[in-house]
Parts: sequence; C-alpha cells; structure tokens
Amino acid sequence: MAILSLKNITKKFGQTEIIRGVSLDIEQGEKHAIIGPNGAGKSTLFHLISGRHSVNSGTIEFKGNEIQNRAPYEIARMGLARSFQVTNIFPLMSVFENVRCALLWSMGYRYSFWHLVGKQKGLNEKAEQTLHEIGLLDRRNFPAGELAYAEQRALELGVAIASGAEMILLDEPVAGMSLSEARNAVALIRKITEGKTLIMVEHDMNIVFDVADRISVLVYGEIIACDTPDKVRSNPRVQEAYLGEVATSA
Amino acid sequence: MKKFTIWILLAVTLLILPEIFDSLLSISIFNQMAIMIVFALSYNMLLGQGGMLSFGHAVYFGMGGFLAVHVLRMVEYETIMMSTTLIPLVGGLFGLLAAIFIGSFSTRKAGTVFAMISLGIGELIAASSLILVSFFGGEAGISGDRTFGPPLFGIEFTQDLHIYYLGAAWMYVAILFMYLFTQTPAGRMANAVRDNAERAEFIGYSARKVRFISFCAAGFFAGVAGGLFAVNYEIITEENLNAITSGRVLLMAYIGGLGFFIGPIVGAIVLTLVNSVLSNYTELWMLYLGIMFVLTVMFLPRGLAGFMMMHRVPWHLGKLQTLALPYTITFIPGTVFVLSMIAMLEMSHVSSNEFVFLGITLNPSGAGSWALLVVVTGASFYALRRTLPQLRAAWAAATTIPEINKEAN
Amino acid sequence: MIEVLTFATLNGLVTGLLLFMLASGLTLIFSMMGVLNFAHASFYMLGAYFAYSISLYMGFWPALIIAPLLVGVLGALVERYGLRHVHKSGHVAELIFTFGLAFLIEEVVQFFWGRATKDYRQPELLDFPLFTLFGQNFPAYKAFMIFISVAIFIGLYFVLTRTRIGIIIQAAITHPHTVGNLGHNVPFIFMAVFGVGSALAGLAGVIAGPVLTTFPGMALVLGSIVFVIVVIGGLGSLIGALVASLLIGLLQSYAIASNKGMQDLLNLFGISFERDHMLNDLWTITLPQIAPILPFLLLVLVLIFKPTGLFGKRET
Repeated sequence: MAILSLKNITKKFGQTEIIRGVSLDIEQGEKHAIIGPNGAGKSTLFHLISGRHSVNSGTIEFKGNEIQNRAPYEIARMGLARSFQVTNIFPLMSVFENVRCALLWSMGYRYSFWHLVGKQKGLNEKAEQTLHEIGLLDRRNFPAGELAYAEQRALELGVAIASGAEMILLDEPVAGMSLSEARNAVALIRKITEGKTLIMVEHDMNIVFDVADRISVLVYGEIIACDTPDKVRSNPRVQEAYLGEVATSA
Repeated sequence: MKKFTIWILLAVTLLILPEIFDSLLSISIFNQMAIMIVFALSYNMLLGQGGMLSFGHAVYFGMGGFLAVHVLRMVEYETIMMSTTLIPLVGGLFGLLAAIFIGSFSTRKAGTVFAMISLGIGELIAASSLILVSFFGGEAGISGDRTFGPPLFGIEFTQDLHIYYLGAAWMYVAILFMYLFTQTPAGRMANAVRDNAERAEFIGYSARKVRFISFCAAGFFAGVAGGLFAVNYEIITEENLNAITSGRVLLMAYIGGLGFFIGPIVGAIVLTLVNSVLSNYTELWMLYLGIMFVLTVMFLPRGLAGFMMMHRVPWHLGKLQTLALPYTITFIPGTVFVLSMIAMLEMSHVSSNEFVFLGITLNPSGAGSWALLVVVTGASFYALRRTLPQLRAAWAAATTIPEINKEAN
Repeated sequence: MIEVLTFATLNGLVTGLLLFMLASGLTLIFSMMGVLNFAHASFYMLGAYFAYSISLYMGFWPALIIAPLLVGVLGALVERYGLRHVHKSGHVAELIFTFGLAFLIEEVVQFFWGRATKDYRQPELLDFPLFTLFGQNFPAYKAFMIFISVAIFIGLYFVLTRTRIGIIIQAAITHPHTVGNLGHNVPFIFMAVFGVGSALAGLAGVIAGPVLTTFPGMALVLGSIVFVIVVIGGLGSLIGALVASLLIGLLQSYAIASNKGMQDLLNLFGISFERDHMLNDLWTITLPQIAPILPFLLLVLVLIFKPTGLFGKRET
C-alpha cells in the first residue's frame, strides 16, 4: 500500500516551471532516494510534500488523505516529519529542549499552559532516549546554536524523528560532513528509520546505493527514472543526465 | 530544593522591606515598582519569550486600569460589592478580553508587521479614548476611591502601607504564574516559535496559535498591573494607554534584559528608581535616561541582567575575583568622565552665576570653570580608553575554559 | 460647498506632499536596510530647529540649504557609528535603537532649545496670498511647499531610475550581497542613502516648521503617521508612498473640513438617541473628531487584509 502518492504535481515560481508533472508512489517502509542535478527541483518537491509551498496542480496523498496545500503543522501532525538542507533548529534553546519540544504534540500536550514540562516523566524520559539515540546526551544543556556542525545535523535528525513520525523526509542529511562524520550519520539514519518510510535527497551516490531500496531521478522537474539502484545505474537516460558521474561510482 | 529557596527568599524580602525602608516615600516607590515589575514581566512574555515586538502593550494595562477604576466607583456607589483585593483580577480579566479580541487578528504575523499593527492599534485606542468620554473620562481620566470595599481583617486600604502588602502579594503571585507559564508546553513552544517559527510548524504547532496564547497571557498580566495601578493611584487617564507608556515598558524590559526572566524585574526596579529619585536631583533626568537607553542598546544588548549573567562563566571557573582589579582600574576614569560630562550638562542649564556640583563651586559664566571641566572630561576619556585593553584581556582570561582531556573519538 | 472642497483639496495636497517628503526618505531607508527608522521624524524636527536657528542669523533662504545638509551629515554619522554597530544584534535591536534615538533626540532638542514653541517664521518674500478664491486666501508659502515637494519627487524618480547610481541603489535594495560582490561599496551606499533620506526629512522640517509650528513634540505628532503611510503604501515602493501620502493628507483634510458626523448618518436612517444614552459618545462622533485616527484605522485594515501594503512586493 502506497503511503505517499504524488499525482501529476506541477509548481511554478513566477513564470518558471520548477516541477513539471511529477507522479510517484512510495510504499510503506520503503527507503527511497531522490537524486538529480542541481536545480532539478528536489528541495522544492520536499517543500511541496511537507506543506511549505502550495502546488499549482496535482494531488499529494499521505496515508490516503490529501495533503497538498495544507499547513505544515497539519501535515506534521499526520505523521510526516522532515529535516532541512540548511540546519533549522531552535538555536537559543538547549539541545534537550529542542528534542523535548519536538515530542510535545505527539505526546498529547497540545497548547497546555497547565502542565509543567519539568515534571512530565514520560516526556523527559523519551527526550533523553532520543538524545541517546542520536548520540548527543552529553551535550544536552548546550544552546543548540553552539554545537559543532555535524552535531547540529544530528540534532536536526533528532528533532525530525522525535515525534515518532511514520514517514521521514531528509534533505541532504550529510551535506558538508567529513567522510567519517557522514558514515556515522548514515549509520544513525539507518538505525532510527528502521520500520519507517524514508525519502532522502542525496548527492553522494555511495550512500544512495547503500541505503535506498528504490531511486527516483529528478531532472528539470520531471522524474526520468524510478527503479531499483542497479536498474537506475544502467539507465541510459540517467547516465546522460549525469554525464558520467554515475559511472565513476560503479 | 534550590528552586524553592528563591521563592521563599522573595517572600521574606517582601515582608521585611517596609520594616527597613519605612518612610512614606519608600513605600510609595515600592508600590510603583510592584506595578511596573508585573507590567514589564508581562511585556517580556511577548518580546523576550515570544519574539513579538509590540509598541502598543499599554493598551491592556490601561484597559485593565480603566475597568478597575469603574468597578471601584461601582463599589463606592453600592452598585456592586467587591473587595478591593480582587480589583487587580478585574483588571486582568479585562486586559485578557481586550487581548483575545485584538490578538485574534494581530498575531497572524510576527516581526515588523506585528510591531506596526500594535503601534496602529495602540494609537487608535489611545485616540479613541479621548473621544469616548463616558468610559475613558476624556483628558481628566476617571478617578475612584479604594476605601469603600468591605474591610479585609479590619483594613480599609486607607494607607499606602496597606496597598504595599496588597501589591506585594499580587506581584508575588503574578511573578510565580508568569514564571510557571515559561515552564509549560505553551511557554516552551513560545520560545521555539521565537527561535524558528517555521521549524515549530514542522513539529506540529501552529505558530499563530502559539503566539495568540502568549499574547492573551501577556494581556492578562498587563491588565493585572493596570488594576494594581488603579488601586494605588485611584485615578487612570489616557496617558496610561498611549504610546508613551508603551514605550516606557519597552524601555524597562530592554534595559533590564530580554533574554532572562529576571531581566524585566531589574529593568522595572532601576527605571522606577531613576524616575522617582533621579528626577528630584536634576531636570535633565530624561536626557540621561535617553542616553542610557541608547548606550544600552549599543553596548549591552542583553541588558543589565545579561551583563550580570555574563559573570556566570568566570564564577563557575572560580575566576570571578580576577576581574575585581581590572574593573576598578576602568571604573575610576570612567566615573570621573561620567561625572564631568554630567557637570557640563547641568552647568549649561543653570542661569545663575553659581553652580555647586558635588561640593565644588563652579561659575557657569566663567571661562575658567568651563576650561576645567573640558580638560577633566578629555583627560578622563583618554584614560578610560587606555584602560579598556586590560579589561578586555582580563575578561578573556577569566572566561577561557582550561584544557581537559578530550575523549578519544 | 465647492469652496470648502477646493480649499480642503489644496490643503490636503500640501499636507500629503509634505508627508511624502518624509515618507520617501523612510521608504528608501527601509527597503535598503530593512529597518523602520523611528528617528526619521526626529530628523524632520532637527531640520526645523536647525533652520530656525540659522534663520535667526542668516535668514530663511540660506537655512533652506544648510539645515538639510547638516541633518544629512548627522544621519550619515548615526548610520555609520550607531546603526551599523547594532545591526549585528538583529532587526529587533535595530528598531529599538532607532526608537531610543528618537527619544534621545527629543530630549536633546529640549536641552538646547527649551520646551517652548519657537517663533520660526515664513520668509517675507513668500508672505503674501497667492490667490483669492471664494473670499479665502491661499498663501504663496503653501504653493512654495507644493513646488518643493513635487520637485523632490521628480528629482528622486529621475535619480533612481535614470542614473547609474540610482540603478545601483535599486539593486542594492533587493540584493545587497550581489551588489557587494560586484565591487560596489555597499556599506558606503547604505550610509549615503541613510544620509540623503535624513536630509530629505530635514528639508521637510525646514519647510514645514513655519506652518506646522516648531516645538519638541513635532516629531511624535508626525512620526506615527509617516510610518502608517510607508506601511500602507507598501514597504519599498516610492509610488506607494506617494499615493498613500496623498490619500491620507486628503482624507484628513476632508474629514476636518466637513462637519458631518455619526448623527447625520443615523438621521438618514431615521434613528436618533437621547443625550445621556450610555454610548452617547459614539453616536455623536463627528468626522473632524476622528480625523486624527483615520490613518491608524487604515493601517490596521491594510495590515490585516494586505500585509504587503497597497503597492508593496516585500514583507519583512
């Protein structure tokens, strides 16, 4: 059963068409990577799915409900979480607070002004657990804005998955990381997305082929191939689009 | 356990303060401080915690105050019966009502749009208050009498001292609840929305609704402050709603320090003192206030509380005392500079031939006195500049974390 | 009726164009630096006071040139040593800084010039009625004000759209980093624009001083209205500032000139209320009474329904 279904999505900014008729079905539990040259529209696609932008036409269905043009918070509440290409956390709050806030809605606290967060055992335990999973437990009281880059990316990941979302969108999660940092990050991603659906935008082909069950190739706003890694690798259209980049990682 | 000690300490301090400073003037200043502390804290719910800059917060203060005075009048004319102790609550509820109504459309956006809407609403309501004379009393405002309510343990609130205890109690409760609010999901999300509204949406929260809740809470407590004002002064006017009062509370919160809970408390105390004490010594106190404000924005953006908190790091490292000497070295020329500048400003305002400053007699029309002041100002400024590098070096040394063995990774 | 309308229109035009002189500088500064300069009206006030003092020694006409220049230099210094320093603390800090500056300037003015209204007079050359219509005089000085305002608008429009520096400024407004990368000294441009904007405000003060009275509260009176105009017109749009200035100037002028009130409206529907009805104030409201609040009402409405303003493309 497709957990996410895009049907003929188009998006224009002014006169420029960024997404030109994208259709895609993602299965539950699938690990799906979206690759493509710069400017292909990968981030825009994420923005459309997560509610940051509205579509010009087409529908997006998540767990059977239409989510296109809905507010980001509505979509988030349905179980869809995302991370950002440029680190997007709460810089003035501590690492622990960042994660704890991400847990609030899913644990039912809503806009309560009658609960004291310090006293909520379940909430705090889960926050600690999440911090432990992303390896930032010893940084728990640091202001998030003062973490090292790779740690911020890890926190970004933590905030995205804390709510227990069923589907996670990761936008270039290892961008700007060193080789060893990226390796750790990928291991972390694998661990925390077990059993969940993952859609990942990524440039590093090694990671893509390592993690993904299926790959979609987005070029100039259209998907030119959507298949298992091996089939995509040998797809002539894809090779043409990349002008040899795929060949070097064979 | 440590957390409770602060609250106990506060309660004890409030109880013994009027015993130590028992003059009528002191009591009246304390009462003013209590009102301003609640007002400034309510403002910080918007700005420091919510990231919403408002230029019209006095509206909720004033609205609360106006209804409070009207209720006092109704008690006086025996239309209703209510204890004076509940008046601040009345003010709070009306402030809340006004905030719900105005917040319903003004909290959609943050940033400059919100600031401008708040300015527009503030001016609108202040101007309307001069037109709607029956509720707002026109230029003269509305006055009432707080002594007609049923006595509380025999007290009829005739004296300022009685008002002190009432005000202190309400202030204590208000501080407590405003602090607790910051520890609730609503309060935490207010911080999150302040830091990154977009991200807050992606973790499931409507930024607009979070802001709306902060806005209403801030309106409630501002109304409480307005009610306290009404009980204290027994009169309320258009001035308590207008841009000047809104500006004043912004000043208090900012100078005190937006990023800390106690910031506005510090700001309210300092500004009330400046307002009441300094104004007795010089006509130019508003000018000094303006200079202090601009200098704070430029050099102490985290306010007085921020400045104090900066010292936490050296304290944790046990190096706080290393700053004592460098501070003294800078403090001496610094003080001389400030005093001579003040002398020059004050002297130019004096019309007679004699001007006494700190026991020194100067001649405002004599070139000798002016020359002296100019030289002293220049020399002390120069000396001050020279001492700054050593202060900076001392700070750098006092805040370096000693190298500890890093874990092998 | 026609005579009231004519003079109301002329007066509205004078006010509107004066407001535009203030709003144009503020718009430029806002669109370039993203800061709504609260002290802008303070520069207007300084212009009036400087001109007053200068005119005491040298007459009106030298003051017309020197005072705006002084204010412009002051503005440039404020940007260079004040605003730029605060810029790194964020937008809120910048707004608060300009707010504090406005407060400070008002105090400084009172310190040097005292609190009383200054007897700042129109130049004798212009102190005659330009024409008489329906028995009322229209002073030549007011025509002079219109003339200067229009000349400024044309000059600004020309510089911004037809000269090289103008194009660079327009580009720096939306893409400061790119313009910087192209080798232009963007900080200097910022300082210059701030200086010119302040000088314009000062010029407005020089001309308006004799007519709108020169006193320490003059910045406060005009300041909020100018913000309203800039926001209604659309942040960053000079045309919007012009339209909004004229709109508000004329609206207020008509409201003050007419004597119609709520009662007339209600009488149309056959409703009337006794004297001591509780909401009597509301029913007896007249247009002249609400004239001062009309701009703010408009502001709130525009911000709710069209936050980018009438002509604006940018929100903050």
